[in-house]
Amino acid sequence: MTTIEIRNLTKVYEESGNEIVAVDDVDLTIEDGEFVTLVGPSGCGKTTTLRCVAGLNKPTSGTITFGDRDVTDKPVQERNIALLFQDIALYPHMSVQENMAYGLKIAGFSREERMARVEEAAELLQITDQLEKMPADLSGGQQQRVALGRSLVRDPEIFLFDEPMSDLDAKLKAELRPIIEKVTDEIGCPTLYVTHDQEEAMTMSDRVAVINDGELAQVAPPKDVYDEPVSQFVSQFIGQPSTQFFDGNVRSVNGTAELDVGGYKYDLARDGLEGWADEDVRVGIRPQYIRVTDHSGGGVPATHLLDEPLGDATHSFFDTEFGEIVVVTGPDFEGEGDEYNLVLDDEYIQLFDTDSGVRIA
Amino acid sequence: MSQNEPPGGIFGLSYDDETRAFEALKLVSTAIIVLVGVWPIYWLAQLAFTEYETVEDVVTVFPTPDIFTVDNFTVLTQPEMYTYMFNTVVVAIGTIVTVVLVSLIAGYGLARLDFPQKENFARVLLIGYLFSPIVIGIPLYQIWQNIGLLGTRFGLIIALSAISMPFAVWLMWKYIMTIPEAHEEAAWVDGASRWRGFRDVVVPQCRPAIIAAALFAFALAWNDFTFAQILLPQTDTTTFAPGILRAMGQAQFLPDAYLMAISLAMTLPPLLFAYFMQSYLLKGFQVRAL
Repeated sequence: MTTIEIRNLTKVYEESGNEIVAVDDVDLTIEDGEFVTLVGPSGCGKTTTLRCVAGLNKPTSGTITFGDRDVTDKPVQERNIALLFQDIALYPHMSVQENMAYGLKIAGFSREERMARVEEAAELLQITDQLEKMPADLSGGQQQRVALGRSLVRDPEIFLFDEPMSDLDAKLKAELRPIIEKVTDEIGCPTLYVTHDQEEAMTMSDRVAVINDGELAQVAPPKDVYDEPVSQFVSQFIGQPSTQFFDGNVRSVNGTAELDVGGYKYDLARDGLEGWADEDVRVGIRPQYIRVTDHSGGGVPATHLLDEPLGDATHSFFDTEFGEIVVVTGPDFEGEGDEYNLVLDDEYIQLFDTDSGVRIA
Repeated sequence: MSQNEPPGGIFGLSYDDETRAFEALKLVSTAIIVLVGVWPIYWLAQLAFTEYETVEDVVTVFPTPDIFTVDNFTVLTQPEMYTYMFNTVVVAIGTIVTVVLVSLIAGYGLARLDFPQKENFARVLLIGYLFSPIVIGIPLYQIWQNIGLLGTRFGLIIALSAISMPFAVWLMWKYIMTIPEAHEEAAWVDGASRWRGFRDVVVPQCRPAIIAAALFAFALAWNDFTFAQILLPQTDTTTFAPGILRAMGQAQFLPDAYLMAISLAMTLPPLLFAYFMQSYLLKGFQVRAL
């Protein structure tokens, strides 16, 4: 039984005299068998965090514990981890079989034992007929399967992924996702998966850790991160298309709050708005909860710009007095440049502090 | 209108004529290059197989059966010739091994480790090329004499390795930088030590660079005259190039045909070496296609 415990992890780089804080006081616990995804924009410190956990980078301060073993000062070789790299990093001069058996060879397993374990892993990953090939002869997806197999045979204590699918096309990603889930389930160890792709984060994780500027913004199950973002950043980063934002003002009226967005009024039956009367707020709403009506329905007047039909839904772009707004419309919607009204569903309106971006209600 | 005009190339020729002219010119230029490159080797070879009396008297272009002989090569059985060749081979192999080992480790250090003044250190290496061998050779003679390396093959190997080293180290440095660090990191994750990862993952991928460095060191060591002449002053321990010069000066009887035979025998190994290594060089580059 292993858990990964990251306590007060900080990593500071020195670059031409300047100190750059890549990871700032990150606390994260990953339970045994749990799949946690670290997601954030490029340069947010997610890969640095993973490399510290792997032992490839040395943290400036903080501790990392696997179970009851403090590994903060242990080199990568002694951590018994598996790590999948962004550029896959198969050994190009070894066959698939040799690639997968290399770790076992170093650990001193006999030839028969190595072959048996490789066969077993290859079967799980459906690459049994590829074992004799060289990595260069495989497609990107197959290479990543081999890399998975290379980790699988060693029976690692923890599993780490460093954007392993960012070089693959969308269809292959969708194909590989269930395989990764199957393999990590099979091993049953804690998994830390780093990606900039929020779709990957949402689909595979038990919990999603959103990181921004080296700090954890929110750690929660995928649905919670989507429905109840704790900050403007999380709301904007998670979900496709992005949450739409407006400037607004709260006016308290008899217990229920009235929200004023550029002259349009919304009644919000929310707690937590005490003390926000007559304060400016940032208003966010997901494009899924904006309704398109004709003029009779009231709402914000909007000129239709273009449609992006996806088959099961359409992303429609409108020009309004607040700028361009994206709305998720039905699969048969065709705007054809006409005038419409946009109605926000007040139940799903999110309010954020204008300065800190922290969620208010 | 314009469709009826004959299609014109640069010289006003039709495209077909132009292609033909281009092919012909290509052949001519190839022929010139082959003539310049191969003619001396051919001349060397054909004289080596012609009876030495004939070579002294008349100019022949091909060893026809009546003048053909392999007797010229008996000169190689003379004991000092054997010594020269043995020394040359030992020195060449020693230089290759030293250059490849040292440049791999130095190149790895430059590529993967961070230390102060790294770039300047590498640039200083190149200063070695500013001096011709004769300039370095004389101080080396005195140093080698003091530390007892003068007249030893080991001393010559060190001197020749030092000359090949700047190129080899730069080659390895730049080559190792093209190998993704993730390959090594993957090996570390698999449990390999830094040394083991270097041996199992970096060195095999460096094969093209190793072969290029080996070819370079071999050519330098095999053809070296200056250092061998200075650092191996005794005739009985010297290598082929100065040895043959001394033989020419000392021998009363050394006809041109014999010289050609010796030269041919000493030219073949580097030719074969370069030829076979070149195919390995290409094979090595295929690995990098990943």
